[in-house]
Amino acid sequence: MAKIEEVKANVEKGKAKLVPGLVQEALDEGSAAGDILQIMVDAMGVVGERFSSGEIFVPEMLMAAKAMSKGVEVLKPHMAGDSSTNLGTCIIGTVKGDLHDIGKNLVAMMVESAGFTLVDLGVDVSTEKFIDAVKTNENVTLVACSGLLTTTMPAMKDTVAALKSSGLNGFKVIVGGAPVTEQFASEIGADGYAQDAGSAAVKAKQLVNAA
Amino acid sequence: MLTKKQNLLETIKGGNPDRFVNQYEFLEIITEAPKRIRPTKGETILNEWGITLSWPEDQIGPFPVHDDEHRALKDITKWKEIVKVPSVEFSDEVWAPAIEHAKAVDRDDQYVAVFFSSGTFEMTHYLMGMEDAMMGLYEEPECMHELIECLTDYEIHYAEQIIERLKPNALFHHDDWGGQISTFLSPDMFKEFYLEPYKRAYKFWRDNGIELIVHHSDSYAATLVPYMIEMGVDIWQGVMTTNNTPELIKTYGGQISFMGELDSGPLDVKDWDAKLIEEHVEKACTSCGKHYFIPCLTQGLNFSSFPGVYDAASKAIDKMSKKMF
Repeated sequence: MAKIEEVKANVEKGKAKLVPGLVQEALDEGSAAGDILQIMVDAMGVVGERFSSGEIFVPEMLMAAKAMSKGVEVLKPHMAGDSSTNLGTCIIGTVKGDLHDIGKNLVAMMVESAGFTLVDLGVDVSTEKFIDAVKTNENVTLVACSGLLTTTMPAMKDTVAALKSSGLNGFKVIVGGAPVTEQFASEIGADGYAQDAGSAAVKAKQLVNAA
Repeated sequence: MLTKKQNLLETIKGGNPDRFVNQYEFLEIITEAPKRIRPTKGETILNEWGITLSWPEDQIGPFPVHDDEHRALKDITKWKEIVKVPSVEFSDEVWAPAIEHAKAVDRDDQYVAVFFSSGTFEMTHYLMGMEDAMMGLYEEPECMHELIECLTDYEIHYAEQIIERLKPNALFHHDDWGGQISTFLSPDMFKEFYLEPYKRAYKFWRDNGIELIVHHSDSYAATLVPYMIEMGVDIWQGVMTTNNTPELIKTYGGQISFMGELDSGPLDVKDWDAKLIEEHVEKACTSCGKHYFIPCLTQGLNFSSFPGVYDAASKAIDKMSKKMF
């Protein structure tokens, strides 16, 4: 197996200790840094599908994301100016009134692994903070709003409405979280909805590529 | 008419209940018993485990704070130096209201239940944050096993105290093991890390007077039911509709019972709707039937986030009892 294929296989398996060495070996073998990054993005796509289908669980997804992150550290010095896999900036946060971060963090990892530059605003994020982040960051193509509590669904609605009426453009809004349904997402005017972190990454790419 | 306790036993043993068990009616939970320090609304506190908990004014409950500054356990390999297990001994004065409450319960009608929260699984998240706790299972499994054993020992020490003081005969135990559509861990990993510690803890409770173990996890956990049975759970409370409860009842009824099916998510909302609650109750009762099933909101205690919802569900369950019994 070529080293680059080994990188892919070991990201999928979440071998965080092995991947950095394999990435270096792939570089030494002559693989381009952009190609190695792309194959890790592909690996995370596979991980996302497996998570969505129930084949793997949270620890396996986290380990895969960590493996990729370790690989990217090795690649970074070789990637200057290479934006081949950059899908733009994704602003992510859990909406006002909600401190849950597990789902949001999983989505953040998967979206970043899919090729977005990530700006994580954390939890309990006000509408104003989302809008400021769109204004102050470059090339924002996606805003992702998470919420776990039924009590914070109105805050999600307000956030989407404020983003849509802000006069800012060039980005899509995706929402998700335990009480959120596709119907609710559509009712509040979001561009997309995802049921879990794996499908969030797929949906994020679709939304941005379709823009 | 059967007492609440008799009706519960007929329901979970497949006998002849004369009505649906109505939510938590069979459990008198002694909430006055001393337990982990919690912040009140608007407070941020450092609790006895070194965990920072915050309850902002506009939220419905407290949350652990897991940023780099506040996470209690940042390196699982150092858990023995960092984790300070708090004392479980409290003064007579602290125990007094709980003892009084327990004594007042008619034990022929209801179980005297103690409440234990959080379980070992959630406690690892409280200490370390979800990501570190989950990755620790792969990266430092020995340390995670040790920490889980330590948390189990703590539970048993607490059980010793509460059993001596209150002589309870039921346990209501919280530990959320999944999200809406999946468990957090694979069943194999759950078995590897949590089955034996849970068997040990639940055996201790049972060997010391607990006749009924109700485990709360308001989540998907259908794939963990065989382990729940093995560890000695009598009733899984919090079973969400995503679990296909009628199928679970067919497969496991008689070995374990299921309490839930009224998902709090869509029902326990600000602008709640009594008609919608009635529809969900009717569906739950007709699809799950009279045995091994207790209709109940999935939330983990006998109240709702929004006033009126719990009572509306109880009323709808009574209505279904009249219709079906």
